[in-house]
Amino acid sequence: MSTVTFDPASLEQLQQQKSTRPWRKKPTKFTASVSLAVVIPALIVAALFVTSDIPVPILMVVIYLPLQLIASAVAALITRGTRGVADSMIIVNAIGASLFSVIVLASVIGSLIVRGLRALSPHFLFQNSVYISPSTPLDYGGIGHSLVGTLLIVFIASLISVPIGVATAVYITEVRGRAVPYVRFFVQAMSGVPSVVAGLFILTIVVATGAFNQSAFAGGLAYAILMLPTVARTAEEVLKLVPDDLRTGALALGSTRARTVLRVVLPAARTGIVTAIILGVARVIGETAPLLLAAGNNDQTVVNPFGSPISSVPTYIFNNVALPYPDAVARAWGSALVLIILVAILFTLARVLGRGRVSR
Amino acid sequence: MADVSQVERRDLQSAATSHRGDRVFTRTVTGAAFTSLAVLAGIAIFLGIQSIPAFQTQGLSFLTTTGWDINTDPPTVGIFGMLYGSVLLAFIGLVIAVPAAVLLAVFMVFISPPRLSRVLTNLIDLMAAIPSVILGLWAFYILNPTAEQWQVLLNKYLGWIPIFENTSGNFLGTPFIAGFVLAIMMIPIITAVTREVLSRTPPDLINASEALGCSLWTMLRYVALPYGRGGIVGGIMLGLGRALGETIAVFFVLKIVFETNWDKIIESGGGSVATLIVSRFGEVSGPLELQLLLAAGFFLFIMTLIVNVVANLIVSRTGRLQK
Repeated sequence: MSTVTFDPASLEQLQQQKSTRPWRKKPTKFTASVSLAVVIPALIVAALFVTSDIPVPILMVVIYLPLQLIASAVAALITRGTRGVADSMIIVNAIGASLFSVIVLASVIGSLIVRGLRALSPHFLFQNSVYISPSTPLDYGGIGHSLVGTLLIVFIASLISVPIGVATAVYITEVRGRAVPYVRFFVQAMSGVPSVVAGLFILTIVVATGAFNQSAFAGGLAYAILMLPTVARTAEEVLKLVPDDLRTGALALGSTRARTVLRVVLPAARTGIVTAIILGVARVIGETAPLLLAAGNNDQTVVNPFGSPISSVPTYIFNNVALPYPDAVARAWGSALVLIILVAILFTLARVLGRGRVSR
Repeated sequence: MADVSQVERRDLQSAATSHRGDRVFTRTVTGAAFTSLAVLAGIAIFLGIQSIPAFQTQGLSFLTTTGWDINTDPPTVGIFGMLYGSVLLAFIGLVIAVPAAVLLAVFMVFISPPRLSRVLTNLIDLMAAIPSVILGLWAFYILNPTAEQWQVLLNKYLGWIPIFENTSGNFLGTPFIAGFVLAIMMIPIITAVTREVLSRTPPDLINASEALGCSLWTMLRYVALPYGRGGIVGGIMLGLGRALGETIAVFFVLKIVFETNWDKIIESGGGSVATLIVSRFGEVSGPLELQLLLAAGFFLFIMTLIVNVVANLIVSRTGRLQK
């Protein structure tokens, strides 16, 4: 036991301090060349955009990016010499890559909002599609049956995967048996199972053997396979954050190991485990392929988890995407918007709860 | 300090295991912990058994030929084109995603101000959270017509390169578009892992390289990238695993044809094992065809399992080296 207390946090702080460079001045040449390097390519491309009819993405990638690279390289050459050229390339390309991702994301979200809002209305959320054909106008019918189906399937999947996932995490962090590395490894491997394979597996063992029809239960089983690794890994992270003092304290008071985990450790990690569940749900809620195989499709609202095929939001989108009727396509966009909103709510919840990972 | 309390706790725990409730608890938890193994084994065994008939009727040609004609007797079915298609699509996706993702991670860790990095992190998380069915919908209606223009231009100016050949004049539903969609799915995965690894580069090394007069590029080239190489490769393989198993988005944008489309990436038509399963499942003609699809699923499972296991081994090994 050393007597000098060494605080790693302060060292980290020291390391993170930016070294100041008072000797480095920014002469006007620097400012001028950098701003020219930014302005000239932008002006050329803006001119081309107005005068020619080259598609914008092509314009950006084929003309703007090389122009900007050349301009930045020249500016770097002037201000910092040859050593600056490679840096300017990296910076321009990195900004380009970031813009690319942001634009793709904006395009996806933007198109969802623009095209999805047309279908959205109260009855779209609450009605089912019993008397609805693809050509029925948007005034009638909705995805109520699919929402009920998705909720039911996700609920069943949570019922199965949450206890197993949390128990797996407890095994890794609390029991710490000899097999911990192997268990971790299998959980990792399981997270790579393609969703369509999970659907096929449930199809063979549940549906094809005749045990159940395509149903919410079968769909929930397939979802549980996909959900389990996420729940287990997040719960493991969360349980690791529970202070060891709580465990030793409980054991010192004469509590058994089981009781320590059930009464002390798990309650302490309550919010974190809720986060794990939410992240697991968010991971699976948009999965389509397993439900196509295991849950089927239905126009009616189904609440019996075992009897009959059941609709869900992703399969509803799937069935409406490529239909040659504008209203059916609008329904697909509308339900996609609903689905992304659900996912966004789940992630926001997880974020908010995640802030206070371990409540004391 | 931590070590001491751990030792004490182990002693206490081993003393407490004699309690009967504890033994039940330990066994239950241990049993649950092996569910993942049981599921993996179950998938391998059940799909494996189901794929035996495929080999009995098709022999090895199930893997080496291409075609899906269920009506002949025996059916002439082979998934080589689909296996190849899976790899081709994933490769196109990687060519787009790897530079974009690595540059994005470099931007977030070393270039952008911290506040912008946090915003970008959230955006990339959001990107990872988009369900594939929504990405497919977007790709079908928004990307498809846009990318058609790009491909027409590619063909016009670079058509003399064999991969940009297009003889049919149809630029919709091409492997290029499908690969592009896969790239959008892989970027968040690869970026997340790469960012994680790069941000763990010891500040000492970065400061030392700066003190020695390294520029950003030389620092990346000789310090950060070699340091995080293992993690980056692992992240790329995780993305690859995702791409190989992706079904719905590819199904929407790719025109599925049962032939081996070797190198014509902007010619309409292609395939992948996962989309084969979804596209044929709706109109399965009988138990034999279902078994053939299950066999295809079996090989998809094996393929992704190998990729994922290797990826995880690489990632975890990097993690250990860093400690």
